[in-house]
Amino acid sequence: MSQYVFQQIINGLALGSLYALVAIGFSMIYGIVRLINFAHGDLVMIGAFTTLGLVAYGVPWPLILMFVLLVGALAGMTIEATVFRPMRGAQQVTGFIATLAVSIVIQNTGLMILSGQPRNFLFPAFMRQRVQLGSVSASLTDLTIIGLTVALIALLLVIVYRTRLGAAMRATADNLTAARLMGIAVNRTILTAFAIGSALAAAAGLLWGGKFGQIDPLLGFAPGLKAFIACVIGGVGSIGGAMLGGYLLGLAEVLFVGLLPPQFAGYRDVFVFTLLIVILLLKPSGLFVRHVEERA
Amino acid sequence: MLEVRELHVFRGATHVLKGISLDVRAGEMAALIGANGAGKSTTLQTLSGLLRPRSGTAAFRGTSGPVDLTRAAPERIVGEGLVQSPEGRQIFHSLSVAENLAMGAYLRTDRNEVRRTLERVHDLFPILKERASAAGGTLSGGEQMMLAIGRALLAQPRLLLLDEPSLGLAPQMIERIFDVIATLKQQGTTILLVEQNAAMALDIADRAYVLENGVITLSGTGPELAGNDRVRRAYLGMAQ
Repeated sequence: MSQYVFQQIINGLALGSLYALVAIGFSMIYGIVRLINFAHGDLVMIGAFTTLGLVAYGVPWPLILMFVLLVGALAGMTIEATVFRPMRGAQQVTGFIATLAVSIVIQNTGLMILSGQPRNFLFPAFMRQRVQLGSVSASLTDLTIIGLTVALIALLLVIVYRTRLGAAMRATADNLTAARLMGIAVNRTILTAFAIGSALAAAAGLLWGGKFGQIDPLLGFAPGLKAFIACVIGGVGSIGGAMLGGYLLGLAEVLFVGLLPPQFAGYRDVFVFTLLIVILLLKPSGLFVRHVEERA
Repeated sequence: MLEVRELHVFRGATHVLKGISLDVRAGEMAALIGANGAGKSTTLQTLSGLLRPRSGTAAFRGTSGPVDLTRAAPERIVGEGLVQSPEGRQIFHSLSVAENLAMGAYLRTDRNEVRRTLERVHDLFPILKERASAAGGTLSGGEQMMLAIGRALLAQPRLLLLDEPSLGLAPQMIERIFDVIATLKQQGTTILLVEQNAAMALDIADRAYVLENGVITLSGTGPELAGNDRVRRAYLGMAQ
């Protein structure tokens, strides 16, 4: 494989990792409360700025990651408990608009406190070196993004599929009323889903800053939208679908630009959204949702 | 074990239950019969804490003492031993049969006890053991009903609420389900059975109530009601 193609694939996987981290939380939240949460992307921004603040105080990076996960979880839980919980049972469109409102509030609070001026965001110098893998090489930043994402996703899958709490979350997402009748405290379960999903988005913020080098208070819009698209591609409400959708989207974006003649580079979003439309036409429920036949 | 007095429940602006009172005593099988829309499911949802009454009382003697069902959270009510198998089965379609059953035991901590209950459920419904790893949504209607009852049993109910176990099932399957209900009663489970299928319900109930438009219009022992002219005309489809 040529260095060029390899580099494109690593690039796509790194971008896909970021999308996947955001999309998984987006999907978990939709799965459990049927809420298209457009404020979810803003957790990425909160994670990025939390990182920047801690770096300024010289906190070591592993500790920063822990802290960012915690801040993301707390932010997500706060939003759920104060805004979304009181609206439970309202029409879906009400909740949807509420998420837009939360997003606007977060972004503008960010603009007020932090100003709209983009800030430089730097991983430590050694992260910018390249790692030689046989005849090809990749940046340590990209490899770290991919590795950390895989680790976080593995941890998430263990929680969701191997623990009692995870089973309760899946049961609540499947049938809220039945979950209550089993004695599952559903508000606590929902809060947990928000905590986990938001922590992942905040972690994506840390990595986002490292990959792109600059952050500003409005940066959450793009990952939020891309996460939504990744979920639609993979199947909304499914964790595996969101993950695969995120990677597919990241790879598609990078490979369109990298492998097509340069004059098409500016049309990257055209290709991506065309792909989305084709997928929606062929498989409206998402590519990776196994259809469980349900009987009456 | 359960004492309901003058319960008034609204759904939105609709006055669904207009002051119903009923009792279920330990060890007995009570039946609540009535037509579609009479308020049967509303009654059970209120007892499980999913709906809050406007007024009235509902007292349950739980594992750790008396429980006020009009105030307690649903998870507390389940923990105290009042467990419901809801209308339309409401199993978890995407979870496996084994996981569905495990959710029934969600609040229980003694694993050995849970395993014993699971064995008992597998004895009652062997199919649930055979299909343990199948997704709940792939079961047939009758199998889903067995799963719903099995799941409720895993919560170790002191009082089991069964909402329309015959709904949408083939006659043969209804017989089997009612056989199991009779077995559960013999084994000492206290049951409140809600049914449109009045004939089946009155056949096995010790005590029965007729609910019409949110009001209990008749009550008595199963045989008494089965012999009542109005019940025979309205619910058993018999001429005088």
